[in-house]
Amino acid sequence: MPSTLSTPAEPASLTRAERLRLWTAIRVGDVAALASRLAGRGSGASIRGQVLTRLDPNAFADLLQGHRVLAVSGTNGKTTTTHLLAAAVRSGLGADARRLVTNADGANLHYGIASALSQQPRSDIAVLETDERVVSDMIAHARPELLVLLNFSRDQLDRHHEIKALGRSWRAALAAAGAVGPTIVANACDPLVVWSAGTAAKVVWVETDTTWSADGALCPACGTVLRRLPIDERARWDCPGCELTQPEASYRVDGERIVLPNGRMVHPDLQVPGSFNVSNAACALAAAVEFGVPVPEALAGMHTVTAPAGRFATTHFGRTRARLLLAKNPAGWAEALPLATSDPVILAIDSVAADGKDVSWLWDVEYEQLAGRRVVCTGPRAQDLAVRLSYAGVEHEVEPDLRAALGERDMPVDVIATYTPFQRLLKMAGLR
Amino acid sequence: MKPVEIVLVYQSLLGIYGDRGNAMVLRQRLAWRGIDATLTVVDPGDDVPSTGSVYLLGGGEDAAQISAVKALKADGHLFRAIDAGAVLFAVCAGYQIVGETFTVGENDEVIEGLGLLDVTTRRGPERAVGEVLSAWTRPDGTESLVTGFENHGGFTYLGVNAEPLARVEIGVGNCGDGTDGAVQGNVLGIYPHGPILARNPELADHLLERALGHELDPLPNPELDELRRQRIAAVRRTGLRR
Repeated sequence: MPSTLSTPAEPASLTRAERLRLWTAIRVGDVAALASRLAGRGSGASIRGQVLTRLDPNAFADLLQGHRVLAVSGTNGKTTTTHLLAAAVRSGLGADARRLVTNADGANLHYGIASALSQQPRSDIAVLETDERVVSDMIAHARPELLVLLNFSRDQLDRHHEIKALGRSWRAALAAAGAVGPTIVANACDPLVVWSAGTAAKVVWVETDTTWSADGALCPACGTVLRRLPIDERARWDCPGCELTQPEASYRVDGERIVLPNGRMVHPDLQVPGSFNVSNAACALAAAVEFGVPVPEALAGMHTVTAPAGRFATTHFGRTRARLLLAKNPAGWAEALPLATSDPVILAIDSVAADGKDVSWLWDVEYEQLAGRRVVCTGPRAQDLAVRLSYAGVEHEVEPDLRAALGERDMPVDVIATYTPFQRLLKMAGLR
Repeated sequence: MKPVEIVLVYQSLLGIYGDRGNAMVLRQRLAWRGIDATLTVVDPGDDVPSTGSVYLLGGGEDAAQISAVKALKADGHLFRAIDAGAVLFAVCAGYQIVGETFTVGENDEVIEGLGLLDVTTRRGPERAVGEVLSAWTRPDGTESLVTGFENHGGFTYLGVNAEPLARVEIGVGNCGDGTDGAVQGNVLGIYPHGPILARNPELADHLLERALGHELDPLPNPELDELRRQRIAAVRRTGLRR
């Protein structure tokens, strides 16, 4: 019988020894997290996960047992889409919403996922943001029912030297999972995503409103230069060298609206801004519906999402009212820059490992669109941004200190930050 | 006077590290001096113009390298432009493809390059990733520091017809032999990718002077001086000295 929303997960099958080890590791992790919190060093989720997975190396796989898993991955939009999907499923579950666990804080590596799962032992549905590098392990250990693949673009190339290598690992994991592998909900407009999902047993395609195509020049399967065919006024990609082509989608983004498989149009009425979030919502909606959530419940749930892990949050720093936007790579900046409409606008750049140590991506971002407004460059790599803006003809000033850059302002400002300064802003604002 | 044409070759294939920044820098440095300049971005499938003064190649993945070599050979205009005196500046994967041969893939398949620089590239013992600092000798014999970021798996060895472009102080460079880049006539290549010309205005102006055949007025820029000061200090503080 096909599973429905109310179908419980298969219970975990762990030996007594495994249960004891896991239980002990969780308790020690909790103590470490508490100590970290008391020391004022954040939520402690990260340290909990690290202690937990150190004491029980199987914790990730063991904790996933007993859950029906819906995983979300891709370069950009993972956290927001995870929040949208979790809200949609919770809404569908109604009074049973406590069955659901999610890593809402965006901690998406093995230990972050383990940490989240350990905090809700009674849950049996897990909506999990999953780092691109963890996807193959997730497929192998968690047997997810659904896997949402959003997009694939250049990101932290000092660590991930080849964009395609991750896609290759997904293909292998999906091929190994075979018929019991997850149903994929994937972005049909991204050639690398389509190729990566090519070995999956079942795929629900979503035609998104993707603006970034710079990493889709070549066919990932055969290396031929892809062509874009104008069909129904929309460009579709196609490989002239092999079979790979943009698949026919079941769900389609049309401006602010989402076209359902039956042709009906719905307005997601989101509280998170930007066209890329309509695309994220379309993917979340498709996944929720596949999981058995009726469309109206899914939309009602998604409407409640406001500031996933601080993204798009509006907050105060002293007198300054600021809206916080995160942009981690050129595709992310392409989406975030049009949303930042304040004058001045504050841009915060860092280059520690989590941001990518190489800031050459600054030249892949169209900062020229800010011409006519004033930019405050902040963060440790403010000077690199300043030179970039000079060449772009954008008026700017440099204030490396984040708090000083925010100042005491009478008018609201938009702040776009790379990962590390974004986390600092959340901390300064008491949002994490 | 005809505008100076800067040609960015196959940005969509070889442009993964913000490499278009080099073209933007060259054009803007001419514009700031009141010299009319245009930027031509060539996509694969389009003809490469033969009218350019400076041609630029950037970084990319294996499949993009193969595709770019094939297309540039079929097109032929780049070779003719260089014969006619244009300057070619190639970084990272672009530097590798202008050489004699380079390798791609897990099995190190040898691919014939454009043959414009007497260099060969083979897989190195480990990937070279990080900030680099080297000294480049200007035509008048004085030295200028080159600051950048390298990220390459290939090691490049110079043949007899190519001269090293720079002497490495920190980083790997060509193959860990203390050199980075190569120059042969009007063809120059070096590993630091992306907007290397943004951090190194003297190298940028050298390319332009070479292409135009005359010296350019100095262009003081305290903001750029400060960026160079920061990057040079940072790499000397944290980088591995050879």
